[in-house]
Amino acid sequence: MTNDSFPSGVRSRPISSQFLILKTTALFVLWILLSASFDWIHLGLGLVLSFTVAWVNSGHSPFVPKFRLWGNILFYLPWLFVKIVQSSLHVSKLILHPSLPIDPRLINVETNLGHHGAVVLLGNSITLTPGTITAEVDRNTLIVHALDEVSEQDVTSKSIESKIAAMFKDEEPDL
Amino acid sequence: MEVMSIICILAGLFFLIVAAIGVIRLPDVFSRSHAVSLTDSLGAFLVLVGVALHEGLSPSMLKIIAVLALLYIQNPVIAHATVRAALRAGLKPWKKEAS
Repeated sequence: MTNDSFPSGVRSRPISSQFLILKTTALFVLWILLSASFDWIHLGLGLVLSFTVAWVNSGHSPFVPKFRLWGNILFYLPWLFVKIVQSSLHVSKLILHPSLPIDPRLINVETNLGHHGAVVLLGNSITLTPGTITAEVDRNTLIVHALDEVSEQDVTSKSIESKIAAMFKDEEPDL
Repeated sequence: MEVMSIICILAGLFFLIVAAIGVIRLPDVFSRSHAVSLTDSLGAFLVLVGVALHEGLSPSMLKIIAVLALLYIQNPVIAHATVRAALRAGLKPWKKEAS
């Protein structure tokens, strides 16, 4: 446990019992869904395990649920999926084309997201879309490898970035 | 339902084959990684959706959805790590010759 390193038994961060219960419940529901067996051994074992995992993790988790942001991300994912399908078809067309008309390039992308989570989301979204891959990240600057002109425009048009910036506009900048 | 699942799996296989062809045809690590990302974005997705449709509403379907979620979280990370390692090792990206 994390608290052993602190003198005179001072807790680094008090465990919120509400949060502990929330975490245990979430893990237990996941256990039930995945095990799909309802005899006492499975349920009891699941309850003990999910409580243990929640308890072990609660001491050093700065993780606070932000439901608004998660809701935004939930609406963002289908939009991203449409983009993924479009660029998948484009990349398949490039690969199957007899003359292989690719023109790879490295591009520098300057963003002004100013938020760790936002930059991670942007980098992952760019990598998930076939035809563009985030090769390097340094704070607000990304180096992206693009397969051709059309793929490059996915990134340079800033359509993904503006979506993410809109989702994170209420968050405190931490970059 | 069964027909839908067969169509999904066949479409997924098509994208997997295209990705394999891409890995062979494309010139360097960077562009090949684009072909590989095609496998997980549509290939594996369509195959897994096909299997999920075949299973119907059951615990197996939930497990497949969990696999899909993990796939979509982890694959960009792995692709990014590979490409970044290649870039830091000093590999020069292949460029089209100026004609």
